[in-house]
Amino acid sequence: MQKSKQPLMRQSHLPLILLGAVMTGYGLLTALVGRWLSGQAMRGLITPGAYRSQLVAFEQTAGLVAGILLCALFILCAVRSAGSARLAFAIGALASAAPMLVGRAEDLLFRVIGLPTLSAGSVVAGAVTALVFALPMTLLFILLACGRRVPRGCRWLSLASIFVVLATAFFPIYVTVLAFLLKPGDPAVGRMMEVSAQVMKLRFILPGLSLLLLALISMRFARQQPPDEAAKVIEQGGSK
Amino acid sequence: MRHAAGKTRYSLLAWLLLVLLLAACGQPASKATPARPPTGDPFAGLNLVVPKRYEPPIAMNSVITVDATVKFLSGNDIHDNVWTRAYEQLLGIKVNYKWVVDASMYGQKLGLSINSGDVPDMFRVDQAQLRLFQEAGLLADLTAVYEAEASAKTRDVLTQDPISLKAGTLGGKLWGIPLTDASVASASVLWVRQDWLDKLGIAAPTSMADVLEISRRFTEEDPDGNKVNDTIGLCVTKTLWGAIASLQGFFNGYHAYPGIWYERDGKLVYGSVQPEMRPALLALQKMYAQGQIDREFGVKDINQISQTIAQGKCGMEFGVWWNPYHPLNLSQQNNPRAFWSAFPLPSVDATPAKSQYRSAVGAFLVVRNGYKHPEALIRMVNFWTDNIIGSQDDKLRGTFLGNIEAPDVVLYKYTPVVLWEPNAAIKAGNQLRDALAKHDPSGLDLEAQWRYRIIQAYFEQGILEAWVEVATNGPNGAVTVLQQILKDRGLLNRFYGTPTATMAEKMPTLQTMEDVMITKVITGDSIAVFDQFVSDWYRLGGTEIVKEVNLWAESNP
Repeated sequence: MQKSKQPLMRQSHLPLILLGAVMTGYGLLTALVGRWLSGQAMRGLITPGAYRSQLVAFEQTAGLVAGILLCALFILCAVRSAGSARLAFAIGALASAAPMLVGRAEDLLFRVIGLPTLSAGSVVAGAVTALVFALPMTLLFILLACGRRVPRGCRWLSLASIFVVLATAFFPIYVTVLAFLLKPGDPAVGRMMEVSAQVMKLRFILPGLSLLLLALISMRFARQQPPDEAAKVIEQGGSK
Repeated sequence: MRHAAGKTRYSLLAWLLLVLLLAACGQPASKATPARPPTGDPFAGLNLVVPKRYEPPIAMNSVITVDATVKFLSGNDIHDNVWTRAYEQLLGIKVNYKWVVDASMYGQKLGLSINSGDVPDMFRVDQAQLRLFQEAGLLADLTAVYEAEASAKTRDVLTQDPISLKAGTLGGKLWGIPLTDASVASASVLWVRQDWLDKLGIAAPTSMADVLEISRRFTEEDPDGNKVNDTIGLCVTKTLWGAIASLQGFFNGYHAYPGIWYERDGKLVYGSVQPEMRPALLALQKMYAQGQIDREFGVKDINQISQTIAQGKCGMEFGVWWNPYHPLNLSQQNNPRAFWSAFPLPSVDATPAKSQYRSAVGAFLVVRNGYKHPEALIRMVNFWTDNIIGSQDDKLRGTFLGNIEAPDVVLYKYTPVVLWEPNAAIKAGNQLRDALAKHDPSGLDLEAQWRYRIIQAYFEQGILEAWVEVATNGPNGAVTVLQQILKDRGLLNRFYGTPTATMAEKMPTLQTMEDVMITKVITGDSIAVFDQFVSDWYRLGGTEIVKEVNLWAESNP
């Protein structure tokens, strides 16, 4: 027997909306600040040293704040949801470590843990940060895409989001390996690097937008339920 | 339900197809294919500037070096390649290489060939051979053909370095076309670990006092953060001079110019025996005593210094603009955030310091006296400068220099007529920085576009390994320092002739004496050792050398 669909959140969807908004906002803010700083440096208005120190200072502060907020909101979402959605948001909470790693990953990996840099320290650190974000988010969206009680629209969007998360995480890594290791100097790779720089900026923005859309679809689904059915649905979710 | 399941299956199939399509799109646009020898007219469609063609074609006997690193496209060899075909088809010059040897054997083989009376029509010589063969009457005077045939680009390239044409001129006549390169590339710049400066909150060095203070703090304040007193302020190799961790830049900061000749009070003087050396030596002695210079620098060669840099134990070095490519790149082995910045040489006083450098012209192309077409050499040079230096056409450059499809095939090695534009790095750096400022690489050639992408990867993707390109060609990079050096912060070795008689005989000994003296003073001997060296230098041949050099200068103003 097919289980009845439930909205992603019991009662209010505000935690999910906030989660999406914080993730999108963090992505936008880092993209804008990064672009502004890199623009300054590429025009020679600040030295590369000043660029690095200002960027790292910003990334560490913004990453810490965003990481804490995301973690709290993921937990809140998990508490306010049920079934596979609850598990999805609980796993998603692990992704909140990624913003905190941005700007700290090199120190953590190569100084604290003592891994060898292989003369590609920032590439390795960037890849680790991307994975720390991408893997929990991928699992989150897989669980939502497979959840039988998840509204149909949310499942389709989650399925699409899996590819978005994987693409924004792995495409820049792939291009970096091509550019610095396998095909340095290849004009075709040069064009891919241009695209990669833009894709990286979407790493937090697109999954954040996906969460916002999920919230909207789920809210719409909840509104479309007859009042009695809605109460039952909420009751079922609550007793889970 | 059945219908829904079927719909889901179709949807999944559609997703799978979409993923496969995206994966296919992700493949690089052009797959590398092995380069083939050209068929038909290999130069059709190229935007070439071609000098007047000889009709009928003329023959030119020449000689060339080919070492083990030179590779050929299939079906090509040194006698039949893109350059020999271009000379014949486009210029009407059929070049015939009478012999081909490894570069290490070239001088010996040329000597044997000429001694046996077999003088090539066009060949390469060094400075000493130029004088020797000219005095023996073996060379054609190129003055008139240069004036008549040299293109504007050729003249531009040959005059960018103020002494390159002078070096090929003897007795007021031009006997050899200088094979130019970037002389300013040998000028000293100061490299400092920027991440250490930032960590310790130190401003960029603007004076030698700043350099000494930075060196002290790098040594005493644990900039690598390992809580061990194991860093040094300044890297120095046992050889003292050269492109890596050398001392000439440090001396230049004190207005001392060891090893070169420069004008003082209307006469040429030798820098190593001037009084400005003294305060610089004393400063180095103090740095060594305080552990700011490696205690064992006297036995450390470039490989060992490279190790020190790789271990992240050294914070400053006086080197040349390309040092980030090696050995400074090694410092990221232990710290991905290692970043070296280039600075113009700071000065000990209010007078700006000048970086000393030498002319890069060490070889010339000459024509046999009696060869009917001496202007053919100028046309070949024009062909190179007008098309290879003067064009940014990627197809043209790919045809004559090589391309990404066969990266180990370097086509310009098939011709002896290879000149590099002395200011090329500076021009390219300016274009690159303009493109970066405008976020628009469209006007750059392929190589510059790649540099643009690498610098962009540093700034926009956080790829710290790209710092090498940022530190050299990027904004505020080493090339901008070279630009300042070329403008008014450089001092070119004024003596560019062949060694004088006494110089050839005595200079190696005097140079050894100088190196020993500098090492001794740095490691703690009294500065009186320097005074004794100056006195010995003049006594053991220096006085005669100064006379000879000044005599040479009178005829080479």
